[in-house]
Amino acid sequence: MKKLFKNEKFVRFLYGVLAFVLSALIVIFSLTTMLKVTVFNSSFLNDVLNNSAYYTDLCDEITDDLVDIGNASGLNKSFFSDLIDEFMVREDIQSYIESFYNGEKLVVNTDNFQRSLRDAIENYEKKKGIDPQTVSEESINYFVVEATKIYSKSIEITYFNMIQKDAMKWSSKMLIYALISIVAIVLIMCFIFFTNKWKHLAVKYFYYATASAGLFVFLIPTVLNVSGILQKIAILSRSLNDLYTSCVNSLLMNMYVISAVLIGLSVVFVIIHKHLRKLATA
Amino acid sequence: MMNNKKSKKIKHVSLIVVPLLFCFIMCVGIAGVLAPQLPKLIPIVNMFMSDKQVDYSTGYENIFVPTTSSGDTVNAEDVEFPRIDKQFGELSIKGRKVSAKLFFGDGAVPLRNGVGVYAGSFIPGYGKTVLIAGHNNTYFNGLKNVKKNDIVEINTSYGNYQYEITTTKILSADDSSAYDLTKKEENLVMYTCYPFDELGLTEKRFFVYAKKISGPEIVGLYE
Repeated sequence: MKKLFKNEKFVRFLYGVLAFVLSALIVIFSLTTMLKVTVFNSSFLNDVLNNSAYYTDLCDEITDDLVDIGNASGLNKSFFSDLIDEFMVREDIQSYIESFYNGEKLVVNTDNFQRSLRDAIENYEKKKGIDPQTVSEESINYFVVEATKIYSKSIEITYFNMIQKDAMKWSSKMLIYALISIVAIVLIMCFIFFTNKWKHLAVKYFYYATASAGLFVFLIPTVLNVSGILQKIAILSRSLNDLYTSCVNSLLMNMYVISAVLIGLSVVFVIIHKHLRKLATA
Repeated sequence: MMNNKKSKKIKHVSLIVVPLLFCFIMCVGIAGVLAPQLPKLIPIVNMFMSDKQVDYSTGYENIFVPTTSSGDTVNAEDVEFPRIDKQFGELSIKGRKVSAKLFFGDGAVPLRNGVGVYAGSFIPGYGKTVLIAGHNNTYFNGLKNVKKNDIVEINTSYGNYQYEITTTKILSADDSSAYDLTKKEENLVMYTCYPFDELGLTEKRFFVYAKKISGPEIVGLYE
């Protein structure tokens, strides 16, 4: 065994394997940390929502759907023009998102919407001179129930109720994976550095690990972008499609940033490696 | 001297080759892990994918070109069968304020822009039941004015049809006796929400029944 460790080729191979493992661990750490602070963090989604036209598009979509039901309920387009308040939609979506990330039951609060709708009907009756006694309460209630269903369905973010349980599970797993990988990274780096007689060689292995990790992280968004797969996402709602593509684009941009950081780090390691080598040969 | 130069060159090349090799091994590793999952993953991913970029315009396609042909039959191969949400004709009842674009399908797009043939029923000329829906506040508001013997005109690119109104009924939306989609005689059923011009939704529907009096029959459908 001792003989084996004295064999220079074997030792280099061993360090090579360790550098590869280090590289894989850096990828795992980078991606899990990125996911933890993005997809598994409510403020990331809120930022994406605020920076996209999601709320405006959604208000238009809800209004269009309500106009459809209004066409069967004696209410014309103008009735709905100011009904959907963007502030109300924003508040209800944010509370829905908070429930998702807190692992609470996903229920849309429709109280404000129902109140606005009933007020609007009352004002409409007054404006048109309709005697409330002649209006069937049952028909109005049925309309309010159906309109509320449309509102509630629009506020819900599709697939969120399907993935909530798994997302919660993965969220805690991400943290564990990130912690395990960072501990392993530190241990391997220490091992490579302290067991290597020539420190410039140790730094070269760090370069291999960070450069390959940077390349790999760069490859993922590049392949997705070049394949054009993201442009073919087929979600029927324009607002939801915008939301999902904004999220994915933001994730891919984060990957490019991580990749740039890792490649920058690898350049630093190359410089240190050359400097230490010069010192060693001097 | 030569050996020293060669070894220096190898060291420089390794700075490029080794990271690329590591990256390649990781890709192969990921592919190896994902390969057994692919038969499961591909259909899930395909659920969210379309062949081309989705068009979110609220517009619709129109395949209706007015025709003056007045034959008794039309070959199925000469008929461009409409797809969902496409306008393929026009419907009107003279003197009753009913005039609308006719679509295939009765979803949001058709009913926002006209009236629509329920996709589970048949298009005119098929020799079966044509079931058409429309909103009572818009294009089918005029149905409240119709009378027995009124003529409903449906113009399509493959022929012009006339139906004579036989009766009207007010029924529940889930009344299965309201129409018969298995009927082997061409008949037209138009329906909308009821009552007209009243605030609120109800479960009641206003049905208008009509029998075909003219228009080409589509032949060669099952050849």
